[in-house]
Amino acid sequence: MTEGLLTTSVGSLPKPPHIVAARSEFARRNIDRAELKRLEREATAEWVRFQDEIGIDVIVDGEQYRGDMVAFFAEELPGFTRGGLVRSYGNRYYRKPVATGQIVRDHPITLEWWEFAQSLTDKPVKGMLTGPYTICDWSFNEAYDTREDLVLALAEVIHQEALDLAAAGAKYIQIDEPAVSTRMDELDLAIKALGVVTEGLDGVHTITHICYGDFHNAYPKMLELPVDQIDLEMANSNYDLLDAFRDSPFTKFIGLGVADSHSHRIESVDEIEAGIRRALELIPAERMFVDPDCGLKTRTVDEAKEKLRAIVEAAGKVRASL
Amino acid sequence: MALTLTTVGAYPKPPPEGGEFRLRKTLQALDRGEATAEDVAAAEDELTREILAEQAAAGVDLATDGQVRWDDPLTRFASGLEGFSLSGLIRYFDNNTYFRRPVVKGPVRRAEPIVLDEFRFAAENSPVPVKAVLCGPLTLASLSEDEHYGDVAALAKDLAAALNQEATDLAAAGATVIQFDEPSLAAVPGQPPGDLGILEAVAQGLVDGVDATTILATYFGDVAAHGPRLFELPFGGFGLDFVAGPANFDAVANVPAGRIVQAGIADARNTKIDTVEQLRGTIERLNRHVDPDHLWIAPSCGLEFLPREAARMKLERLAEVKEIVR
Repeated sequence: MTEGLLTTSVGSLPKPPHIVAARSEFARRNIDRAELKRLEREATAEWVRFQDEIGIDVIVDGEQYRGDMVAFFAEELPGFTRGGLVRSYGNRYYRKPVATGQIVRDHPITLEWWEFAQSLTDKPVKGMLTGPYTICDWSFNEAYDTREDLVLALAEVIHQEALDLAAAGAKYIQIDEPAVSTRMDELDLAIKALGVVTEGLDGVHTITHICYGDFHNAYPKMLELPVDQIDLEMANSNYDLLDAFRDSPFTKFIGLGVADSHSHRIESVDEIEAGIRRALELIPAERMFVDPDCGLKTRTVDEAKEKLRAIVEAAGKVRASL
Repeated sequence: MALTLTTVGAYPKPPPEGGEFRLRKTLQALDRGEATAEDVAAAEDELTREILAEQAAAGVDLATDGQVRWDDPLTRFASGLEGFSLSGLIRYFDNNTYFRRPVVKGPVRRAEPIVLDEFRFAAENSPVPVKAVLCGPLTLASLSEDEHYGDVAALAKDLAAALNQEATDLAAAGATVIQFDEPSLAAVPGQPPGDLGILEAVAQGLVDGVDATTILATYFGDVAAHGPRLFELPFGGFGLDFVAGPANFDAVANVPAGRIVQAGIADARNTKIDTVEQLRGTIERLNRHVDPDHLWIAPSCGLEFLPREAARMKLERLAEVKEIVR
């Protein structure tokens, strides 16, 4: 047995159908906030118990109470106004937030949920935040002269949230930046902003998750992101990102995405094991976490559970053999 | 002076806040088997009429049908042509929107008209003239996954031939302006400008025999990298995005006299309403290179990235500035 190859999740887990229904009943004002929250806490407890039981090492709360990862934060931050409907694709629409004033934080946003989840398990629960660059990129800006001004204002409020999580005892804090790899011309800004967020988080293992995007142009520059770990999708591109690591070694901890979050197919234990072993040729087990490619919220509950079980089993087999 | 105010393409489908979103509900009902394709078409007709009237009321001189029947320009044409299938969702340039990536499985050919009927419907139901909009061959070829040709130039050539048939039909049906969208030509953050040579090789075939004013529209970035060569292409005008591509202020000097410049000057990707002073300043800068009769003003790209109210306000502001400049 060896240290390392800890298993975790990227963040979101599927909402069971009764939570989806309750959220839309709440939107129609048929149930009140307290009732919705009661159901969300129940579902959160279910997911924490499931992860604990199957042997996941670093737990997530599953974000049963979040809709869109940007709107969730924008709705809690003074300075943002709820936006109108904008189409994402097909017949899917979302409310894109609008920065209409100075962005400040007047209360903790994720702390209560983190504390609740952590109270249910002895394993560490990861604090889950959306990064300042992504919140800016997925919002309208009517308040700040430049994108940089808005990103840095957001960095400060997300930093405050991270400090509160750390003070409450969070050992892992992940700041998701899926938008980072889409605009290479602003990578320096994203690096600067993430530096503001992670400053002074002593003793906390900091992580960022970024999606595939323009990876080959973003690497190795992305190693300048001031976090301990970068979480990357691997399975959905058949691990071809690993090739880049041969030329420029990956110097941080890695979150190795070994199951495609957008496919119904359940990866076999053998193929996940093979993926981990390929990555181990380039990155030592001590610096590797294993997880799905991305949040699993678009999968069914059963699909997500099967994928997570396969990941835990594969990681266990590799760990035992080292 | 006689500026023309035009729109670039897609218009937001949701109603203003509080309104009934009939198209979305009908599409959801279709998924559940509780509505028919005819119900969807009726909802699309209704929304198209509404959007045409809204543009005219805002002061638009040359409208589009708002592309309410499309998910996006790529899949609309890919699914209308033989030889394509559609695969997974990928990000649409540097926007937080997605499209199903077209996959080329066999020879590309137009079996029947693609947007001809919807153009006719729009033209009959619009208070102002309507521009037809087609996806350009370079963009469609570049953003598709090619499993058949093994050569993007060969694919672009067949696409140009198919789109030429469509444009010819549209002109015959009364379209006086036909726009070909080529955002792939622009230097969009995160991707280099597209290969102008590929478009140069097929452009003549694209517009041959098309009896209409043709516009080559770019957006999401600047086209400065292509130099004057871009403006030697056989189009009647060029669409440039001066919001996402400030370098276009230099590039526009290369547009030969007598060609139209469709200038995207109001930010179609942010809800902040551009001030009269800003827009007026931009128009005055453009007037140094483009005579007023050949200057069209427009939002920087299609308006669908905005909520409905913001889209309408953008057009009203452009109309206001147009009157002031006049």
